[in-house]
Order: sequence, then C-alpha cells, then structure tokens
Amino acid sequence: MTRQREEIILRRAVARLRAAVMAVTFGATGGAALFLATAWLLLRGGENVGQHLGLLRNYLPGYSVTWGGAVLGLAYGVVLGGIAGASLAWTYNRIADLRGAATTRG
Amino acid sequence: MVEGVGSEEAQRADGAARQRGGEPAVVIGGGPAGLTAAYELARRGLPAVVYEKDDIVGGISRTVERDGYRFDIGGHRFFTKITEVEALWHELLGDDLIERPRLSRIFYRGKFFDYPLRPVDALLKLGPVEAVRIVLSYLYVRLTPRGEERSFEQWVVNRFGRRLFEVFFESYTEKVWGIPCSEISSDWAAQRIKNLDLMAAIRNALLGSGGGRGGKEKGEIVTTLIDRFQYPRLGPGMMWERCAERCAELGAPTHLRREVVRLRHDGGRVNEVDVRRHDGVDGGEGDGGGEVETIACSSVVSTMPVPGLLRALDPPPPDEVLAAAAKLRFRDFLTVVVVVDREHLFPDNWIYIHAPEVRVGRIQNFKNWSPEMVPDASRTSLGLEYFVQEGDELWSAGDDELGALAARELAWLGLAEEDDVVGHYVVRMPKAYPVYDRDYEQALAVARRHLEGIGNLHPIGRNGQHRYNNQDHSMLTGMLAARNILREAESASGSSATGGAAGPAHDLWAATEDDSYLEAPERGSRSLADRAVPRRLEEDDLAAGDERLEQAIAAAFARYDPVALGGAVGVIAGALVFLLTAVLLLRGDEPLGPNLSLLGHYLIGFQVSWPGALIGALEAALLGFGFGWLLARTINLLVDLAAESVVRECELEGLLDPFDLSRLED
Repeated sequence: MTRQREEIILRRAVARLRAAVMAVTFGATGGAALFLATAWLLLRGGENVGQHLGLLRNYLPGYSVTWGGAVLGLAYGVVLGGIAGASLAWTYNRIADLRGAATTRG
Repeated sequence: MVEGVGSEEAQRADGAARQRGGEPAVVIGGGPAGLTAAYELARRGLPAVVYEKDDIVGGISRTVERDGYRFDIGGHRFFTKITEVEALWHELLGDDLIERPRLSRIFYRGKFFDYPLRPVDALLKLGPVEAVRIVLSYLYVRLTPRGEERSFEQWVVNRFGRRLFEVFFESYTEKVWGIPCSEISSDWAAQRIKNLDLMAAIRNALLGSGGGRGGKEKGEIVTTLIDRFQYPRLGPGMMWERCAERCAELGAPTHLRREVVRLRHDGGRVNEVDVRRHDGVDGGEGDGGGEVETIACSSVVSTMPVPGLLRALDPPPPDEVLAAAAKLRFRDFLTVVVVVDREHLFPDNWIYIHAPEVRVGRIQNFKNWSPEMVPDASRTSLGLEYFVQEGDELWSAGDDELGALAARELAWLGLAEEDDVVGHYVVRMPKAYPVYDRDYEQALAVARRHLEGIGNLHPIGRNGQHRYNNQDHSMLTGMLAARNILREAESASGSSATGGAAGPAHDLWAATEDDSYLEAPERGSRSLADRAVPRRLEEDDLAAGDERLEQAIAAAFARYDPVALGGAVGVIAGALVFLLTAVLLLRGDEPLGPNLSLLGHYLIGFQVSWPGALIGALEAALLGFGFGWLLARTINLLVDLAAESVVRECELEGLLDPFDLSRLED
C-alpha cells in the first residue's frame, strides 16, 4: 500500500459508533450513577433524605431514596442509559451514512 | 595466470564456464549486486564471469584488512524485509552471521543524544531554553505553514521548525553532501521518507513492537531493527568473499583488477567487452596501461556507474545522452581508521558527529560491530568517516596528515586522547553515493532510455542504476537481472533448461523505484520469480489478520463526523426534555413540575406546558448539537495530533540518517 493511499484511507475514515458498546457504556454509567447518588444520600443521612432526588419517582415508578430504591434505580439506569446510548449511536450512524452517501454522490 | 578469487580454482571455473555452452554472461563489478547476479546465474547452470576493477570484492560492502584490523567502508547492518535476500545471507554465512546489539547516538554540543531521537531525551539534554525555542519554532511553522518547499531546508523547516532544523539537520547534512541545505533539492528528503509505512508506524506506536502481523515475528523484526542487527563475524566483506568463492566453485569466477573499458554492441545487443588488466603495483585507476583482452559475451550485467557505462559503449551514445550522463554526480568518501591503545572507549557501534567544529561526520567503533574486527582485544579501532569530493583538499591529503587530523578531532570530541592513537590507515572510496541533486532525475531518465535500447545489458546496483539503494535492494536487482537472463536463455533454447526458475521478465528499474517490488513477501505479492507457489494457510491468515488490523487502525484514527455527532446528541437531548415535560403534563400533578421548570433558567421560554415542551426540546436540541459538534471537533484535533506526532517521528528518523546503508525504511 502506498503512503498516499494510506493517507487517503486515514483521512477519509469516518468513525462509527457501535450501538451495543454505546448501550452498555451508557447503561453501566447511568445505572452506577443513579445507584451511587442514592447510596451517597442514604449514607449521609439526616432529615428529609433525598427530597430532590426522590422526584425521579415522577419518571421512574417505584423509585425512592432507600436501599431498595437504589437497586431499582440501578436497574432503571441500566435500561434507560442503554436505550439512550443505543439511540445516540444509531442516530449518529444514520446521519453519518446519509452525509457519506451525499458526499459520494456529489 | 588469471588472478581471481580462488585463483587456480577461478581459472578452472573460467574454462568450465566456457565449456558449458555458449558465451558467458559478463558481470561488471564484484559488489553485492554483481556477485548476487553471478551466484544466481551459476547455480542455475549458466556460464558467468565477474570482472572487478579493484583488488577486493564487496564494493562498498567490502571489509578491508590492515595488520589484522578489519574495517567497513561505513557500517553495514544486515537487515532486510526481502526473504530471498535474508535466505541467501544465511545460506552463504550460516553461523558466521552473528547477532549484535545496536547502540548509536548523535554527538552535538558536547552531549550524546539517543538515536533514534527520543523527544524527552533530546529536550532534557538540550536544556529548558533550547527546548522552549524548539517547541515555539515548531508551533510557529505549524500555525503559519509556508507553501514553497523547493529546498531541503524549506522542507524540513516546514515540518519540524527552524530551530530543530538548525540543531539536528543543518550541520550534519551539509557535512554529508558538501553543499548548503538551501541548495539541496527537497526531492531528496521526500525520497528518504517516501516509503514510510504509515500503518506500520501507527501500529507500532499503538501496539508496541509486538503488535501486528504475526505478533511475535513482527515484534522480533522491530526489535532487531532498533536494538539488534545481524552482522558477519569478520565484517560484511566476509559475505562477498564467501559468495565469490561459491561462485567460483559453481563455475562463475571472479577476476580482480580487471576493468571493463569497452562494451561493443550491435543491433541492440552487447556482443563483446574489452577488459583491461590492472596488474601493476597499485592496481587502481592510475594503473591504466594494462593489457586489454576482448571477451565475447551473451549478456552483460553492469554495476559500473552509469556515466562510465555510457562512455564505455562502442559505438558511443549520442552527445545529448553523454551530456546528460555527465550531470550525474557522486559523493565520495574516505575513512581514517585509527588504532587507539585503549580496551574500551565508548559502547556505540557508531556515533553521528553533528558538531560543526570538526569535519568528521560519523565514527565507527568496529570492535562493537564484532569483537573479531580487531586482532588485539586490548586496543580499539575507530573509523572516522569523512564525506568528500574526489580531488578535494581532504581527498588529496596524505595518509599521515589525515591520521593526525583524525587524532586531533577525536581528542577534541573527548572520545580518546591524542597520545593514545598508535596507528592509522586510510581508505578512499570514490563514487560511494549517488547524489540526488536538482538535475539527476532528468539526466538519469535520458541515460536510462538509451540503456534500455540494448536488450542484453542489465544495469543493476547502487551505481549501476544511480539509485540510493541499500545492500539488500542492490542484491535484489542482481537476482532479478539473473532471472531475466535465465528467461532469455530459456526462450532462446526453447526449453526450460534452468528448471523454469526465471519466471516473467522483471523491470529492474521499477524494482528499486517501487517499494512493494522490494518487499516481495508483502501481502498480495508473489515471490521474486513470480512462481505460483502455494501459500501456507497460516500466511494467508496472517495477511488477513494484518489487513484487519490495518482496518482497525484506520478506524482508531478515524474522525468523528461533527454534524452527525451534533445531530445525534441534539436529537437525544431534545427528545429527553420533551419526554420529561410530557410525563409531568400527562400526570397532571399540582403544582405542575416546579423543579423541572427550573430548566427555564437555561432554556429561554421553557415551561412545563405543551408549548414549553416544544420550545425546550428545540433549544435542548440546538445546545446538544453544539455540544456534540464541539466534542467531535476536539476529538478529531487530538487524533490528528496523535497521528501527526507518529508520522513526524518516523520522518525524523528517516531523515537523520542519510547514509545508513541497511536501514528499512524506510
């Protein structure tokens, strides 16, 4: 392979996002974040523990700032984070494909 | 009596060669290219005879011996990517090809810098002020690149900054070529890094020496290149002495002190050559009055310099061809070997001397190449190399004068005491390096066109093609020339007398211009003779693995599409705000989203209402787009910097060592 060709390959290469990888990454991060945020408040203790974080129950049925809620929050975080990650990757790849196809036609 | 390698054996072989049928192929020059061609012909049963003007074989890869001290004309690491060449080295030398550790450094401003250059080492040794100057000057040229790159100086400054050029390029390059860097064509720099393998460079940077095809195998190669090399026990000349002996045994004698002075051609073929004997005391060029013998030949393999070859043609080429050939220039070389009465001086195999205060360009420590290069382990022999022009002041200086100069410069450099120098030897090597000046390419094209009109004349090797070949590349041209001759012999006899080993015709000039030709075992190519040899499964697997790895590297260095990432983040952010708001609206709790409505501080016009959801979604999408776009741009910038630093590092290495004769490649 000539250097020129190598340069073309490197310059033209457009990164793709792997939906599965993004789903796992966002899911793991989201789940861990929600679990740790809940656990941190529980460990600190005090009055009205997690009055603001508890508002998440509006979106996540059954969630509360308790140890049980932390575990449920972990599950919610994994599922919703995973969906967000996969959606992000899917959307990015579709747009990149469309733009690539447009460039090729052009 | 014919004097040659193996003497009486050579004479017998000469007769045998003629008896085997037909006129012999005449090989002009007993260097790596010529002897490889002769060996290839001889072992296929074709008659060949080698004429070497000098009194020793090996060309610039010779090993000179004086009083038991052996020394190279320059250093010759044995490293190749051409499997046939590697196999031939081992076939000829077997266990005499030893593996040696490598250390080479650059001497500048009284300090030794690691070579290949390591940025941290270089910047630490240059000191903080110089380091800052280099970094600033590099940043300056990166931010304000110049368009014009006609000279070597402009080329390097554009890539590395003026200060780095002044520190590591200017003085050494001018020593080597004898002309200011501003007068050297930028083509030369581009040529040096033309074959830089980006993928390999990035692969090594990413994965270390163990990465890549064959894992361990590749790792071993890289390690060999950097830390260790192969070397004949008694110097590179050992390889060519052994090769000449093997050729003689096979009926292809080598005649020393025989200069081919005329090639008589007719109808596009050389039919005879005139060979002058130089049996005088010096046996060199000055000994020009020897007897001339005319030898009939079937073909000619020439390693003599292109201008000399053209001048030797009879009938002569047109004047314009001779005029073009006269423009091809060479750089000459002399080495002053000093014997120092010290067991150990420094651990390097060689040191580059960038210091402009001395004229020496490079110093070899032959004992560190092989312990058997010196007869007395309590002493050290150093080769001080001077790049000169034939006839200039240094070239014409007496041996004692050069010995004294070498001793003084060694002392100035702090490498040895002047009083410890107990002896010296001088070897002058004319036409050691073809010069790539601004005229050479056009001139060479004219010469080449003319030579291509003579079908059985095969110019090969460094001077034969005026190409800055390494030893292995010169050998490759020898192998290919031999196969072309074999092919011709097969088609002339209408049989496959040589076992069908010749394969298709090879373009000898392309072989050194196109790197993929040189690296025969590379993916997708065939062996040298293009024989349809079945490949082993694991080789296919390795090649496929390598391709996958290169794809992975390309993916790793791929750029994010800023619009796509911006769009994706924008869509997700907009949808999220809309959904969060919609959930609250659908639940209808009172008060309605007092906390979510705080987003209104950031999203102007946002409320927990259906119109607010749309406004919030739109604004979140826009902000998300901006964030994603910026993220992609930032990542791309960092990827570019990482890729560029790898490339610059490789280019730097390729440029710093213009006369390292067996380096990759580069």
